[in-house]
Amino acid sequence: MSNVSMNCGQVKRLLPPFLDEELLGRARDGVTSHLASCPTCRTELAALKADMGLLEQVGTPEVTPFLITRVMAEVRQQSRSVPRGFGRMVGTLTAALVVAVSIGAGVFFGSGLAQASTTVAANSTEAAVSYVESSDTTMYSLMAGGN
Amino acid sequence: MLRAQAGELAAFEELVRRHQRGLFSYLYRMCRNTSDAEELTQAAMVRAWEKLAGFRGASSFKTWLYRIGTNLCFNLRTRRKPTEELSETLTAPDAERPEAAFRQKKREEAVRAALACLPEDQRAALVLSIYQDMSYKEIAEALGKSVRAVDSLLFRAKTNVRKALAEDRAKGII
Repeated sequence: MSNVSMNCGQVKRLLPPFLDEELLGRARDGVTSHLASCPTCRTELAALKADMGLLEQVGTPEVTPFLITRVMAEVRQQSRSVPRGFGRMVGTLTAALVVAVSIGAGVFFGSGLAQASTTVAANSTEAAVSYVESSDTTMYSLMAGGN
Repeated sequence: MLRAQAGELAAFEELVRRHQRGLFSYLYRMCRNTSDAEELTQAAMVRAWEKLAGFRGASSFKTWLYRIGTNLCFNLRTRRKPTEELSETLTAPDAERPEAAFRQKKREEAVRAALACLPEDQRAALVLSIYQDMSYKEIAEALGKSVRAVDSLLFRAKTNVRKALAEDRAKGII
């Protein structure tokens, strides 16, 4: 026994871990020593023990026997659909594939669009020229007709 | 454990069989509803299976499983209001001594009410300590807290429960 001296306030704070056998060394020795000479703290410890005993008396319903069946059915279903440890790998590969395809598609359609836009621009120029030409012709013919 | 980690279903089934009762009991005391507790126990077990390959053994399988259950329970309770079942006495009623049976029922109701009033983390720590017989270190692992924090949670939980029980005693309820 050490010579650790504790007052009632300090001991009261340490009674729950003392009762739970979680106190070690000097702290436990200090509480033990104090309890030996303090009837108030001994009464407090007995009351704490009684209240915790009251809690222990309250039961819970029994677990359904079908729970394990349900758990294992779900686990088996998962195991069949995706092998263990494989899911994450498949997920990563899928993500990588999607990114690669997106980049590829971007490059492909990007160049395609460039070509298409060049063609459209060229066609637009031709159309514009032909429109101007036809307008000129029309205008010319109108003028000619006017004459 | 290692066999289960390697994907052996029979080994995992054995783990489920070993821990289902305790986990269900813990979750029932947390959510106070049988069907929610069953649903959470099942979800925790299945989640454990999914994550078992990544379990490194820094804690025991039991406290790791309870941590999963605790997180699921806290998430469920933030999503929806708790639906408490009608109170029932779970210990067998004593037909020959109806007065004793009545007092027992009152005591159980008082204890349940005292537990229900606790903040979630205090209740979890107290339930794991009293009913699952876990050490402070195990509770710390199951709740993702330090041992010091668990000591503090348990002190406050016990103080609050005792205060509630003292009030019931003063009213003559128990």
